[in-house]
Amino acid sequence: MTTQLKIESHMEGQYAAVLSLSGEVDVANVARVREAALKLLERQIKRLIVDLSNVEYMDSSGLGALVALLKRVRESGGQMPLAGAKPRVRRLFEITGLDQIFSLHEDVPAALKEGE
Amino acid sequence: MMEEAASGRVELRIPRQAQFVRVARLAACALAAQLDFTYDVVKDIELAVAEACTNAVEHAVARPAGGRGKAAPAQALGAVADDGCDEIVVRFASDSQQLVVEVIDRGQGFDPRAVEELELEGERLGGLGLMVIRQVMDEVDIECDEQTGTCVRMVKYRAREGR
Repeated sequence: MTTQLKIESHMEGQYAAVLSLSGEVDVANVARVREAALKLLERQIKRLIVDLSNVEYMDSSGLGALVALLKRVRESGGQMPLAGAKPRVRRLFEITGLDQIFSLHEDVPAALKEGE
Repeated sequence: MMEEAASGRVELRIPRQAQFVRVARLAACALAAQLDFTYDVVKDIELAVAEACTNAVEHAVARPAGGRGKAAPAQALGAVADDGCDEIVVRFASDSQQLVVEVIDRGQGFDPRAVEELELEGERLGGLGLMVIRQVMDEVDIECDEQTGTCVRMVKYRAREGR
């Protein structure tokens, strides 16, 4: 029994990367998200865009991982905008107040413009 | 794995392992959908059950041999306690007024006061899982007992459904 989660990433120029998540992010697979993001951060990028547009379900395990990543990115002077969260996922940010902490964008192109 | 009892009660037992949290939440979704909750409320109940089970998996500590005493930290996620406390019990009971869900960890359970709080730039964000549960359910009660474990009792009112 495997919770379906697909993780893809690509560079956008020299200093930005997009981490795209698809499926469900929960306690059983969140370590994979953390691992993939940390691998991208090793490239000394300044902006990590997390594409949530294909995430169908996320719980506080996913939120916690994103908070930890945001903390790490900010400590190195970078940005970590989020893109494309569906209403149910966006609700999770809203009820925890994290919509005030994260920069939430409609889609990846909008998130890429942040800080330009 | 699931057994049905009289008067709208269902009990589910899952191993206290991360990959089985999904089983509990999908069961919660299916059961809530049979009642007259809206889609959004069904998804809220699903989320709350997942969060309670996740807490049991992540923060549970094995009950020390002989009952009281210093608890040994749980092993890594996915580990199974060796003291017979290796499962989470999820109980659903519904009537015309409400749906009650109890998530019971018969190990020493997690202590809500000891749940690690996230912090970002000096701002304490609290334990996100419990925050989510309290936001989406109408009543939440957490009982912790070193002998009997932890019970997270959550209620969703059917009469207030859709609020």
